[in-house]
Amino acid sequence: MMPPSRVVSVKAGNIIGRDGAVDPKRVRLALEAGLAALAEAPGIREALDRLFKRDERFGIKINTIAGPALSTLPETSLPLARLLLESRLAPKSVVIWDRTNRELRDAGYTLNLGSSGPSVLGTDTEGFGYERELVSHKNIGSLFSTILSRRVTSSISLAILKDHGLAGVTGGMKNYFGAVHNPNKYHDTGCDPFVAELFETDEIRSRHRLTILDALVVQFHRGPSHHPRWAKKLETFLFSLDPVAADSAGWSVIERLRARAGLPSLEEEGREPTYLRTAEKMGLGVARSDGIRLVEIEV
Amino acid sequence: MKRRTFFQTAAGAGLALGTNAAPLLTHLDAFSDPGRLSHVEARHYVKLPDREIECRLCPRNCRLGDKERGYCGVRENVGGVYHTLVYAKVCALNNDPIEKKPFFHFLPGTSALSLATAGCNVNCKFCQNWEISQVRPEQVRNIDLPPRDAADLALRHRSPSIAYTYSEPVVFFEYMMDTAAVSRSRGLRNVVVTGGYINPEPLAELLRAVDAVKVDLKGFNEKFYAEYVRGRLGPVLEAIKLIARSRTWLEIVYLVIPGLNDDRDEIRRMSRWLVREAGPDVPLHFSRFHPMYLMKNLPSTPLSTLESARSVALSEGLRYVYIGNVPGHEAENTVCPSCGRVVIRRVGFQVKDNELQSGRCRFCRHPIPGVWT
Repeated sequence: MMPPSRVVSVKAGNIIGRDGAVDPKRVRLALEAGLAALAEAPGIREALDRLFKRDERFGIKINTIAGPALSTLPETSLPLARLLLESRLAPKSVVIWDRTNRELRDAGYTLNLGSSGPSVLGTDTEGFGYERELVSHKNIGSLFSTILSRRVTSSISLAILKDHGLAGVTGGMKNYFGAVHNPNKYHDTGCDPFVAELFETDEIRSRHRLTILDALVVQFHRGPSHHPRWAKKLETFLFSLDPVAADSAGWSVIERLRARAGLPSLEEEGREPTYLRTAEKMGLGVARSDGIRLVEIEV
Repeated sequence: MKRRTFFQTAAGAGLALGTNAAPLLTHLDAFSDPGRLSHVEARHYVKLPDREIECRLCPRNCRLGDKERGYCGVRENVGGVYHTLVYAKVCALNNDPIEKKPFFHFLPGTSALSLATAGCNVNCKFCQNWEISQVRPEQVRNIDLPPRDAADLALRHRSPSIAYTYSEPVVFFEYMMDTAAVSRSRGLRNVVVTGGYINPEPLAELLRAVDAVKVDLKGFNEKFYAEYVRGRLGPVLEAIKLIARSRTWLEIVYLVIPGLNDDRDEIRRMSRWLVREAGPDVPLHFSRFHPMYLMKNLPSTPLSTLESARSVALSEGLRYVYIGNVPGHEAENTVCPSCGRVVIRRVGFQVKDNELQSGRCRFCRHPIPGVWT
């Protein structure tokens, strides 16, 4: 059993070229290094064997709400999907998905409903949509994307790490707001306790396996929209099996960047991500920095 | 309409249409425009630096970055300009008896062309129309019904009024305002069914454009509003005060939920407040709750609870207190407070007898407040 509150940070220099393009080969290297370190395995094959079960239907939940400048790009998600498809896991399928096909296209994706390669689709694809029965859990009342509920047995949250005006930080757990029909109803009170309670639903918690935070470029202020003035190229991915620890480590990254830029902390601005503490209290993972072991590597 | 049927048509793929669906559908096919949202600039917002905006329509005052939507889910910041996505995008349309809103003192026995778009600015756990109010506009099928066409439709169906209802009209403010202006110029009245969660400035604007407002007062303490409505009571009370002081007709509905907002003392405090701030003539409807949405674990409101609430309100000086969602109950009738005779007899949403003459009791000539012609 691996320590659940370990976070692996992989820095991949030159992953973003001078033209701003992300190099998928460097992404693959970073993913392989991160997953191997996370699984404490000698290589990617063994890592995947340790991290996942065989014959799963994988879903990679990405975040494309902010357009091409601040979304999970194809150059990032497709190498991950290919790693899974090429592995010994013999996945039944791999789907890269988000809320809408429009947002996917805007972020540079080519939709793929075919049988070859990973599927790429939004919940609004004809034949998918949302479930018709409400899931009611604590303060949550939502219809779930049928992509998650019917197509996915093993979910990876491949989320953009960024500042969020209301939540403080958005990362792997809040990424699942894009799995329900009514995320706008969960932005009150700093998204607390909604982020944690949504994650706690059986629909998500039983499927979630891994968080990967895309910190290639981090919007550390004025997020979740893209503002180049407060965006920093970090060329980093964070990996964790603990969804709370992953986001907490991401929060630390944002605070460091804010401090360097002379900005007040999120707490000083009254918008620290309190939902992380709530998530810890609910037993979803570790939020305290002293409970998280950060492993930093470079490729 | 059964819940399942309604859901399948409204939120699944179709359009919510009621008892007069067939003639409306035929007419509306020409306007059908599913899938597309409007991009009309919203009113009542301010632009902030860095393409942020702050909505000033409702007390949430959502502050949003580019590409973000407000709590209502139907207004979006597009590059620093706030858009309504539901202008003329109607997802529910019926020709209803006005008693169904309910309005009991406003053109009784007439029908109201009743329409809604998707969206709401609160999230009541007991919502009766969540399939359209708690969804985004792209998750329902909409038809394109510009203001002029809505007025045409009302006239064609001999409805003297248009009702903005079902979901939360505040969130389609721009469409409601324009439709009200067009329809008023053509001799139609406009009525609004709302939770009253709106800021004073847009409300004042609205009150100049419409003829009647029914406010759903969902409870009478802040804790209830925070927990079960996801809003605040204070702004709703301010809205009621503003409406009561205007020339716009006001009625109040209070959905009585067993164990949650049926405390007699609280209903007494609420009744006293209404007498003081809205006057003893404001009609108050105690409506029966049925298990819905996120509150399926509760029973329907016992009749005795409704009757008890009514008794409290009458004892506090309110003169027109009704019981709703209990077809055939005697408290559906309007009784003259002077002579005690029934002046409007109703069964369900139907007016069976109307004994008013020029707004007065036919028997004793006592004036009955309302909009009767």
